[in-house]
Amino acid sequence: MTELLRLEKIRKTFPGVLANDNVDLVIEQGEIHALLGENGAGKTTLMNCVYGVYRPDSGKIIWKGKEVTIHQARDAIALGIGMVHQHFKLVPPLTVAENVVLGLPSKREPFLDLVAVEKEILETTKRYGLDVDPKAQIWQLPVGVQQRVEILKALYRQAELLILDEPTAVLTPGEVEELFEVLRSLTKQGLSIIFITHKLEEVMDVCDRVTVLRDGCVVHTVNKTETNTRELARMMVGREVFLKVDKPDLIPGEVVLEVQDLSALDNRGLPAVKNVSFTIRRNEILGVAGVDGNGQTELADVIAGMRKATSGKVVIRGSDVTNLSPLDIIKKSVAYIPPDRQHTGLLLDFTLTENLIGKSYYRPPFSKHGVFQKKVINEFSSKAIRDYDVRTPGPELKAKLLSGGNQQKVVLARELSGQPDLVIASQPTRGLDIGATEYVRTRMVEARNRGAALLLISTELEEVLSLSDRIAVMYEGEIMGIVPGKDADIHEIGEMMAGVRRVGDRTANAGKTEVVKVS
Amino acid sequence: MKTESKLRTIWREYLERSFTITIPVLAILSAFAISGLIILAWGSSPFAAYGALFSGAFGSPAAIATTLQRMTPLIFTGLAVAYGYRGGFFNIGAEGQLYMGAIASVWCAITFPTLPSIVLIPLCVLASAFMGMMWVLLPAYLKSRRGINEVLTTLLMNYIAIQYFEWLVRVDHIQEGITLFGGEIPKWTFINWIGIKDATQPHPKTALLVETSFMPSLKSLFEGKLFTSLFGGTAFYQELLSTPAFGRITLAPFLGLLAVILIYFIMFKTTTGYRSRAVGINPEAARFMGINVKNTLFTTALISGTLAGLAGGMEVLGTQHRMIPNFLVNAGFDGIPVALIGQLHPVGAFLSATFFGALRAGANKMQVITSVPVAVVYIIQSLAIVFAISGTTVDIGSTLKKKRIARETDEKKKLMAVEGEVSNAS
Repeated sequence: MTELLRLEKIRKTFPGVLANDNVDLVIEQGEIHALLGENGAGKTTLMNCVYGVYRPDSGKIIWKGKEVTIHQARDAIALGIGMVHQHFKLVPPLTVAENVVLGLPSKREPFLDLVAVEKEILETTKRYGLDVDPKAQIWQLPVGVQQRVEILKALYRQAELLILDEPTAVLTPGEVEELFEVLRSLTKQGLSIIFITHKLEEVMDVCDRVTVLRDGCVVHTVNKTETNTRELARMMVGREVFLKVDKPDLIPGEVVLEVQDLSALDNRGLPAVKNVSFTIRRNEILGVAGVDGNGQTELADVIAGMRKATSGKVVIRGSDVTNLSPLDIIKKSVAYIPPDRQHTGLLLDFTLTENLIGKSYYRPPFSKHGVFQKKVINEFSSKAIRDYDVRTPGPELKAKLLSGGNQQKVVLARELSGQPDLVIASQPTRGLDIGATEYVRTRMVEARNRGAALLLISTELEEVLSLSDRIAVMYEGEIMGIVPGKDADIHEIGEMMAGVRRVGDRTANAGKTEVVKVS
Repeated sequence: MKTESKLRTIWREYLERSFTITIPVLAILSAFAISGLIILAWGSSPFAAYGALFSGAFGSPAAIATTLQRMTPLIFTGLAVAYGYRGGFFNIGAEGQLYMGAIASVWCAITFPTLPSIVLIPLCVLASAFMGMMWVLLPAYLKSRRGINEVLTTLLMNYIAIQYFEWLVRVDHIQEGITLFGGEIPKWTFINWIGIKDATQPHPKTALLVETSFMPSLKSLFEGKLFTSLFGGTAFYQELLSTPAFGRITLAPFLGLLAVILIYFIMFKTTTGYRSRAVGINPEAARFMGINVKNTLFTTALISGTLAGLAGGMEVLGTQHRMIPNFLVNAGFDGIPVALIGQLHPVGAFLSATFFGALRAGANKMQVITSVPVAVVYIIQSLAIVFAISGTTVDIGSTLKKKRIARETDEKKKLMAVEGEVSNAS
């Protein structure tokens, strides 16, 4: 194997943050090289240095034996480096062919030469086993195919090195398998691939070598065959991880939330939730698994009153709350941890204190006749910051200055400190590092043990599996099945997530007879 | 590492806070410096001109009285814009609300001339507040329920208010009411407020209001029994009363100060202000917190309009005692820079209203003594606005912030390069 790219002592700092330090990395021709690390470990920053989005403060980039300086993405592309970003850079109304040639000179300037391009694309797709119709418009294509268009774009520009930034985050298990097929066939043709990820199984599945990054530095580079997931996990976090949260067996109590034949539309006015029914009892976590965008977010929104139900009923502790205002539903002792703490979870320009009282500010003792009771509020806020271990220099700090994990702790403190009966948690650990993730999960299990009913929505299957008492799987707005959380068959769940299997509610009886201990 | 980052966070927060004060101060200082060059080019000494400007604004009791008069409406319009802006309602219509408030005060004083001061003055003040609120009702409704851009609607409402006044003040048939669809429209409806024009005057203006409607001056208050019995003998007291300018200082600026305190309280110490600010920062997050965004926007708009209406009432009752066309040029529009230079804080709005008021009060003296034209103060004012607004995006002074900006622009460039790769066709 010959060496394609070598990074030597790369260092990149942002004011106050050391993103990469002393990074050495060698990419050989024809390999799939995983860049493994937690969120914030510096994986994407490093690759942005290679792709010319950032310039490293010091260090060398050596491409095919020659030192190069990459000022901007164009330089990288000219060298033969292609990058597929997490968020695709495609123009939805244009066709695949139009997207592929966008920015490149045509052979018949000033006219386009799409016919020839389409032919070329078909040849490329055949060669690499990418199944894409060059005449299709981007918006019509599923996410997995859009990703292939991004790869196609890079190949069309003669890329020899392909950087994929968390490519599986948006894919179904089936699509992931297809992507891996494509990647394997690409390397057979001599391409090299850098695969940014924080998922250990993917590394073991598809990669040849792994470089683990932690706190911006390289921990180790190993061949896949010489390691295992356990060792990789330890390298990634620097300690053993116990993501399996201890969860005592509890007998579910009275029904807290009952959803009956609920339907709702998404923001585009298309049906997003279709005739969904389930119940959640006290001391119970119902996990909703599913690939992002299958109606889970809309379901949570409808229950919390943020979105109108078009039909069906939401009943909380016996009273019908369908389509009540969000405030009325909050008053039914419902907490909602929204999926996006930056945009909907927190007011970033508010102080921590102002954020912490967000769900209780309107009632005594926090305010009397509309006037805030400063003393009560400050005591509450200091206590919440202590109880939820929010790392902050003070309660008057603006929320935007906190790290993601601490921001989420503020959301948790706001939502859980009122001892709610029902907790709706939508993607509660998205984007958090392992430590914060563990913390959030422990808190949610605590709420369950205390007697709350939890609706946990997560696209991380591993999270749903490790926390849920029962698991519901959503696909295209429908619940494909509800199965017991313990000893759930991951393949069965995967098939339901992909929409190829439907099992119904296998836990229906367990819920009805309270005397039977649910195991 | 942890303590280090903690310190850094505190430092950043500190910088952020101090910047809210330093930006407007630096902006005003640079405005003076650059205008100084213009004055120099004019052939006069900027120091002499600024000296005259300052003494014209603060140099004597009379100067202070004028400054107070000029700044009073600006306090109210500044507060109106600041409160609205913080709550996500950018009220460009303070001018129109001010006109309607002034008209309401005038109408009140002309309609009920026989009422005693103690009733009439509060009535006129309330009328101006009420009409200001009424004038923002439609934009408030359209914004909160229909999502129609308030900048457009409030701006257009200005012209309706101003032209309505122009019409009122030019219609001659004093005692006749208007008939519509065969019926006479009652006198109290505001379409039929004909009668506020002074028919004895050749020029369009309203009648001079009855003296009982004049905002009491400090002098008249100090002449009251309480003060005479307390300080009647002291020489200072006698001297104070004999200063003629003292009679021109009314309660109005002090009501302005009261409004500043009240708005500060509402903004930061009440649930109403909390909701307003939450919606202003991020309506979506506010909605997730259970806040009724529509109602909150509506309330914010009404508070803003009320304040702007009061600006008109204060001017009529405290200073001019009648309305003439262009009776208070641009005070409503000037509320916007007053609020922005004041960093959208009630106290900041008060300080920048003082600055604006002082400029206007001192301008004449500057022109008389140094023959530097009055227009220079508008140059100073405009430059201060430009600098203050650009200052909010480009922070001056701190290397740390500079670095950050440099990095961000660098990033932006790089990102644009990536996109440029897409859009640069040939």
